[in-house]
Amino acid sequence: MNRWSVSRLLATVGVSALLWALLAGACLLVGSTGEIAIPDWPTAKVRIEPVFLASLVGAALAAAGVVYQAILRNPLADPYLLGVSSGAMLFSYLWELGAAGIVVGAVGGAVSQQGFAFVGAMLAVGVVFVLASSRGSLEPITLLLVGVIVNAVNGSVFLLVNAVTKDRPATGGPLAFLVGGIQTNLTRQQMWVAGVVIAVGWMWLMYLSGQLNVAPLSDGEAEALGVRIGRLRWGGLVVGSLVTAAAVAISGPIGFVGLVCPHLARLVAGSDVRRVLPLATALGAGLLAVANAASRYLAREGMAATLLPVGVLTGLLGGPFFLLLLWQTRRTVGGEGGK
Amino acid sequence: MTQLLRAEGLTFGYDAGVVLHRVAVVLNGGEVVALIGPNGSGKSTLIKVLIGLLRGEGTVEWEGREIGIWKRRQLARRVAYLPQTPACEGGQTVAEVLRLGRAPYWGAFGVESLRDAEVVGEVSQTLGLGELMNRRMEEISGGQRQRVFIGRCLIQEPAAMLLDEPNTFLDLKHQVELGELLRRLAKERGIGVLMASHDLNLAGAFADRMVLLCGGKVVKSGAVGEVLDAELLSRVYGVRMERVERAGGSPVVIPVVPD
Repeated sequence: MNRWSVSRLLATVGVSALLWALLAGACLLVGSTGEIAIPDWPTAKVRIEPVFLASLVGAALAAAGVVYQAILRNPLADPYLLGVSSGAMLFSYLWELGAAGIVVGAVGGAVSQQGFAFVGAMLAVGVVFVLASSRGSLEPITLLLVGVIVNAVNGSVFLLVNAVTKDRPATGGPLAFLVGGIQTNLTRQQMWVAGVVIAVGWMWLMYLSGQLNVAPLSDGEAEALGVRIGRLRWGGLVVGSLVTAAAVAISGPIGFVGLVCPHLARLVAGSDVRRVLPLATALGAGLLAVANAASRYLAREGMAATLLPVGVLTGLLGGPFFLLLLWQTRRTVGGEGGK
Repeated sequence: MTQLLRAEGLTFGYDAGVVLHRVAVVLNGGEVVALIGPNGSGKSTLIKVLIGLLRGEGTVEWEGREIGIWKRRQLARRVAYLPQTPACEGGQTVAEVLRLGRAPYWGAFGVESLRDAEVVGEVSQTLGLGELMNRRMEEISGGQRQRVFIGRCLIQEPAAMLLDEPNTFLDLKHQVELGELLRRLAKERGIGVLMASHDLNLAGAFADRMVLLCGGKVVKSGAVGEVLDAELLSRVYGVRMERVERAGGSPVVIPVVPD
């Protein structure tokens, strides 16, 4: 039996980082114009930023996916489930309208669109937590249901605001908020804030990875194995949501990364969260960097008029891929969930 | 014999009413105690109160310390608990389930010590699970699964084990094997085993003492021969029972079905 020692932990993180570095490095070769080749330094400098941002967002979503799936005891749980993306989307749109002087001018002017989206994401999650908690404890099923409802309400409010708004902002339009993409208008400060929130959150999740292994068991078993499951569930969900909100605020909702990457990592590393978390993070980072490079490639080949938002690509690739995963799992275990 | 558990005056109720009423239980190292009683008599609830999953009135002391003082992690190193239907994730291997038993000992980042790996190896050998380590839980038989879960408990290196109807889903052969295993663990390792059971005779065959619960109260507690009393059991279970003595073994009770 391979003992999970400090050196094994470092080796796993190292190998995962290397995997990401290879993918990200390859992405630097692809631009929206010119040859696919090792770029000169000025060109590389331009491409490094989107590659890093895409990686950061992908890493955050995949890590949050691992945690949500463990804590909600649901392999189909997605980091957006608890209202994070719909909250961010709604507030992002309100900010845009506010900037156009219609709804939230006073507040909108004080913070950046990303900051405002982050607030929206956390507000939505907060509402979900308040509605789903009963005497301080969170029941996974109730949480999922409330999350779905809050997402639906946010979506409706979004459409309602859009319908009653007469003066729409010139850029973007409502559609731009429904599919996420790596933004190009971020300031250094916004990138640093997102980077720090995601990095600190990730470290904390890694710190708890042993306990997260116990979370899929029943509450009684988890407690009997020394884990305060209520506290872990709260902590994991709050940190997972913070990490997701930080990502969504700079990218909008990018689908399937948080769902597919944990599963891919499990195919390679088994069910142990301690192994799955670093590997899924690297896969998420790599996948989104590749999707970002692919959108540059499509623009270069003239197959898309503009740079396609990465959310379109991850959705197109992730959907069928996930169905394939589901089909294979059902075939290997004969349709049994294993519970 | 060291006293591991002392519980007194345990009273617990849900909104629907009182489930346990002034229950007292003692568990010593090296003994197997069977908790018997009809459905709804409070067996599972009692076990949950004893492990601290439910809090009621009364005293629960593990190794002389009130349960509220114990840190969860510390208690998990002394007392293992197995619910009626233990859970595992789809696709988990036997090895992955077993090593979860060391969770109370893991350091930050889930780092395992040499001892952690040693205990998992040792217990898997003792329970004959060596060959199954890389098999998925859904690929092995019900009897093997239950042995894995007992293994997970043992890997906690507990002084006491609380098992809630560990015989559920097992055929007769595996029930007997499980009983023998628990008895062996108690005698050889000095572990105190408290198990809820529906099978009076099987429980009687392997237990040192029995506690009979009915309507949340302890009706009788003592040696197997004393608790397996036909008249008492007839009253508690609402079925006529007959007792058959066996030479050199514990008595058995059988329900008498009228023709």
